[in-house]
Amino acid sequence: MKFEGSRFQKDNPNYQEEVLIKQDIIICRCEEITLSEIIKAIKEGAKDINGVKRRTRAGMGLCQGRTCEKLIQQILEKELKKFPKNIKMGTDRPPIKPVTFGELGGKDQ
Amino acid sequence: MTYFDAVVIGGGASGTAVAYYLSKKGIKVALVEKNDIASGTSGRCDGNVLIADKQRGFDTKMTYTSQLLLKELTEKIDYDFEYYQKGSIFVIESEEELTVAQKLVQGQREDGYPMRMMDKKEIHDEIPMLADDIIGGIEIACDSSLNPMKLSFGLSLEAKKNGAVIFDHTSVTGIRLDKKGIVEAVETDKGVLITKDVVNCTGVWAPYIGKMVGLDIPITPRQGQLLVAEKTFSPYWRKIQEFGYVMAKSQEGNYKRNIRSELEKLGIAFVFEPTLSDNFLIGSSRAFVGFDTDVSIEVMQGLAERAIRFFPVMKDIHVIRAYAGLRPYVDDHIPIISKVDEVPGFYIAAGHEGDGIGLSPLTGKLISQMIAGEETILPIDTLSINRFK
Repeated sequence: MKFEGSRFQKDNPNYQEEVLIKQDIIICRCEEITLSEIIKAIKEGAKDINGVKRRTRAGMGLCQGRTCEKLIQQILEKELKKFPKNIKMGTDRPPIKPVTFGELGGKDQ
Repeated sequence: MTYFDAVVIGGGASGTAVAYYLSKKGIKVALVEKNDIASGTSGRCDGNVLIADKQRGFDTKMTYTSQLLLKELTEKIDYDFEYYQKGSIFVIESEEELTVAQKLVQGQREDGYPMRMMDKKEIHDEIPMLADDIIGGIEIACDSSLNPMKLSFGLSLEAKKNGAVIFDHTSVTGIRLDKKGIVEAVETDKGVLITKDVVNCTGVWAPYIGKMVGLDIPITPRQGQLLVAEKTFSPYWRKIQEFGYVMAKSQEGNYKRNIRSELEKLGIAFVFEPTLSDNFLIGSSRAFVGFDTDVSIEVMQGLAERAIRFFPVMKDIHVIRAYAGLRPYVDDHIPIISKVDEVPGFYIAAGHEGDGIGLSPLTGKLISQMIAGEETILPIDTLSINRFK
């Protein structure tokens, strides 16, 4: 998702309109979470990536937020009027890519 | 400066439940949370609400009461926290376990709890993917499960509707007492909250808040790690635990599981929890490693090994994430839900170890009744901090 215009919603008179048009766009593909669900989570108090994640499951799926974290950061940036560096990213956890239970705990490879 | 009848410190399942039940009584309450709601232990745990592994008597009664309160909450709060009561299963590996299991089930049945034995044929008919050598099981019909983060968010939003004020990303810096040593105010990095009652719901961090009023709270972090599986077919639809671990934990006889000593050292026991998000969680582990929430490869391997032992079919399912959380451990395994005689107006609701999520509504209810000066739904003597004197 790409927003037109400048970084902050106060500088972008079309922001609300844009959000309305794009509200059904899926931001987190793995968990099928839309833009409007993410904005709702921010309105309910989420202030960073983990806050959005815990409220919506965005970033909890197969890719572990590899694509949507950056998008969510942009949405947070616009909703909270903050610079990206002031928005905490999600916690990195192993495994880096999915591994099977067998690869992890098998004794027979 | 703002006045509140009560200030709750900590925005996990316990704190949000306390805030919710207080606000329902019309008490003006503030909740102060250092980070975000459900960002500590309540955001790094599982959602089991089980009587399965409880001691006979009061321990079981606490969880059972909490299950009833949770069911009530699903109708009262306008937020789906994915509560479902489908029951849980214990799987039994050996004759020795079977003997102890039969005794446990008989006792719990006498007390009126819905538990029953399953023989070898029945357990394999019920769970076709289970390893062939499992000799039996127990079904615990009332056991349930929920989403701990959603429970915390739901309770805090509902408390807010009732007039509670949530101060998230706000740190408590001190607790002010008057000349007589009675609670007067809570100092935070965003300002002072005048109040007469403070509830310390900060789990593993409770000792820090305790120190602010010169109190020693005997809670230690006990780390646990979990694996998250990909969305796939579910090997079974209800929660499953290995019975051997409960036996080893409660030290029935000199019971030793047939398990590698490395796994025993890491405190690994098989727990399987399917979630409403079509994936499942695999636990569990236990370690005293301070406030460390990093996951370790040894524990991940151990959890996977133990999972395959019970469900060989899992070996081809993917693990997408591992995480660790900190249980607030108390050495007698009983939570501290208590007023503090030395500091009038100071309450503790912490130290639930692995049961904080399940016991959160009961915790909230008890504290709200204590503060309102009402009779409590369960006797609170055994939960008092005075037992450590």
